[in-house]
Amino acid sequence: MAATAKHALQEIVPDISEPSRVRALLRLTFSRDSVSDKTFLADSFQEAPLKVVRAFTLEDGTALAHLHNVSGGLLGGDHLAMQVNLASGAKVQLTTTGATRIYRSREGFSATTQCNEVSIAEGALLEYLPDATIPFAGARYLQRTSINLAAGAGLFWWEILAPGREARGEFFEYEEFAMNISVSALGRRIAAENLCLRPRQENVSSLARLGPYRYAATFYICRVGLEAREWRDAEDQLQELTVSMTRRGEILWGVSSLVAHGLVVRCLARNGRELLPGLQAIWRSAKRHLYDREAIPPRKVN
Amino acid sequence: MKPEREPVGVAPSQELAHLRLLHLADSTLPIGSLAHSFGLETLVSAEILHAGDLPEFLHGYLREAGTLEAVACREAFRLAQAEHQEFGTMRWIQVNDCLSALKPARESRMASATLGRNFLHAVLGLGDFRVLREARDASLEFGGLIHQSAAFGLVSGSLGFEETRAVLAYLHQMSACLVSACQRLMPLGQTEATRILWNLKPAIIEVAADSADLTLETVRCTMPLLDWGAMEHPALTTRLFIS
Repeated sequence: MAATAKHALQEIVPDISEPSRVRALLRLTFSRDSVSDKTFLADSFQEAPLKVVRAFTLEDGTALAHLHNVSGGLLGGDHLAMQVNLASGAKVQLTTTGATRIYRSREGFSATTQCNEVSIAEGALLEYLPDATIPFAGARYLQRTSINLAAGAGLFWWEILAPGREARGEFFEYEEFAMNISVSALGRRIAAENLCLRPRQENVSSLARLGPYRYAATFYICRVGLEAREWRDAEDQLQELTVSMTRRGEILWGVSSLVAHGLVVRCLARNGRELLPGLQAIWRSAKRHLYDREAIPPRKVN
Repeated sequence: MKPEREPVGVAPSQELAHLRLLHLADSTLPIGSLAHSFGLETLVSAEILHAGDLPEFLHGYLREAGTLEAVACREAFRLAQAEHQEFGTMRWIQVNDCLSALKPARESRMASATLGRNFLHAVLGLGDFRVLREARDASLEFGGLIHQSAAFGLVSGSLGFEETRAVLAYLHQMSACLVSACQRLMPLGQTEATRILWNLKPAIIEVAADSADLTLETVRCTMPLLDWGAMEHPALTTRLFIS
């Protein structure tokens, strides 16, 4: 396992020699062919259950890869890591093949952990568009994500958290869901979040937390180098969209500029039905505004 | 009148330190604290937050945002304590950058930064405090924001206050400002407001204690509903508060 990913895992799980089901790394490196202007998967290292079968080329030269977990979900004690490197000018879209299921942690097993390290070189663009993460009853999950953006690099990155298996009436029965994300541009941190929900220990429906809403989503939109004034313009434009999509009591959308180089969108929803279409609408609008290009949804969400 | 110069290496008497702390932690200190609701105005306007919800809401707020600010206050306090060493300029910038990154809503982030800058400026007007001057100059040089909790911690460390008392005082004035904002936003009388703030004190003590062993890398803060409120505040047609 690569040294950095192992280090990141050790920060979350001090003793990774304890009984665990799986320790696995997925490392993907994408490069751009300057002649064809197409991005391709230049190198990969894959340990089961993490798998990328191939990268497809979209009509604008972007490489689309589907992230698979062939075990069907994350089990208690699994320690997984993903490293994604985009070389200069590469354009990549990553998505999942379905919701990420986090199964309950069995007694004696540590929490499920997932460490993501993402490096986006000059002028490259990563669009990370996964399905929701669903922590099952009894699940314990710690996720740590670090994203580094070079000059001119871009990012569309969303995460969706479901309350549980809604269809069977399971809401907030997991033990712990913690998600730490840090986004840096040119070596300086521009966004961070340290979300942690422990429904069995505290009232997640407090108005200080989720209130009456069950789903939460965060969407980071970055392009390094744009001036603060341009981000305010982008914020104003997207705010018209978020206000129009908000229906109090059902779904709330908000957008704000980051301290530099980007925007963040927050969504809270009673159910998940409108969440993904809403994120896609914001993605389309932001991509047009920032890149003057159309967003191309991964085929599975067409 | 010539500004006071703090004698190097001589701690103020406990009584003087106590009075200074009371003064600086007074929510009516003219730095603009009462002009901000940090997103509360949107929650009230959207009829999500009502007077009856306040005790529970403020407990949750303290547990989440209060812990984060308490940790930042402590980190800055400890920077100022190393008085015989070179001031940790880069760490000061990092602490404030980290807070900026952890505050997703522009208006709330800028509110915190405005109050921090005003607070530091106000104290620098009271004397020539080397660490505070260096911190202000470093933030200007690196183009970083100065957040209120970090400024309060740095000033408290620099003026020789006791760390936990400083954190308690910060959390108390933060809570008082929120309760005051609520009095202007909803039907909340003086007596009930006083009772709410009175009953929050044990939670303030608990949060201050819990913050002692945390860092800005490990402290959690999960307030998506209030983040939404702060993000949507600019879209309100009628506003009492800047944030």
